[in-house]
Amino acid sequence: MKAFEIHTFRGGKWKIDSVFDDKELALFEARRMDQSSRYPGVRVSEENFNESTLETVTRTIFKGGRAEKQAAPRQQETKSDAKKPARRKGAQGRNGKGKHRTQKKKKSGIVMPLVILSLIVVIGLAALFGLQHMANFR
Amino acid sequence: MTEKIPESVERAEVGEEMPQGMERRLVLRLLTYWRGICGERDYPSFSDVDPNSMQDMWESCFVLEVIGHEADPVFRAAGDAISSFAPVPLIGSSISEWSPDNLIGVAVSHTRDVLRKGVPMSHGDEFIKIDGTKVLYRSILLPMSDDGETISGVLGAANCREVLEE
Repeated sequence: MKAFEIHTFRGGKWKIDSVFDDKELALFEARRMDQSSRYPGVRVSEENFNESTLETVTRTIFKGGRAEKQAAPRQQETKSDAKKPARRKGAQGRNGKGKHRTQKKKKSGIVMPLVILSLIVVIGLAALFGLQHMANFR
Repeated sequence: MTEKIPESVERAEVGEEMPQGMERRLVLRLLTYWRGICGERDYPSFSDVDPNSMQDMWESCFVLEVIGHEADPVFRAAGDAISSFAPVPLIGSSISEWSPDNLIGVAVSHTRDVLRKGVPMSHGDEFIKIDGTKVLYRSILLPMSDDGETISGVLGAANCREVLEE
């Protein structure tokens, strides 16, 4: 037995808005709702109830444009969290953003000394060239 | 109770006379209306329903009273179109009195699910009339509340068309 639930994002959480037994009708209504500016997020969840095992399998079959945007930062966080133990156990950052910042600092920590070293070399070479030039004049 | 579709009822595609650009499906139009009167509340009140402002839909609507009839809600109002499917008076009857070989019976068959979940539910399917005719229908049940919290009634609507098999 299948049911298609339209969920809307209200008051900071997802709530069931309405239930349909028809997939196309639910998707049509969800798209229509998503196009209006009333709801910050709209999605459709397919509830598949297995009568023999008494288990319900749920999957999201539609995510509105705004729902996608809301879900995106969370997915990024989840992905970062998932990668964290594999890369560095006991990493300092609590979320993906913190880790990205750490990586940026690391990059700048290598790049800056290289830039300074390059500048010193260039200035040194210029000084040597200048001194040699002055010696030739004398 | 068995269904008796009056001769005056036209066997036409539902809503085919609707203006262009307007949603033709009754259940979606009524759901939009319900959301409109609901506002930021969980449920609208029956006092918000104005049959004059929804005449095209009201003909197919019915009202179930739940308070005091939780186990078997009772019809309290109905539009002319939905009433025409009732061979006996609809008002005052309870939902258990209507069998699933009738538009009214199938329209209210998910009332308990709506009361349990507390959200609008739409169903469509087919049923076979007592004379063997196949009928396709779609219905919607919308929870209503006098205090905005407890469901005190249900606003419903249903329409159908017969399938002519060769």
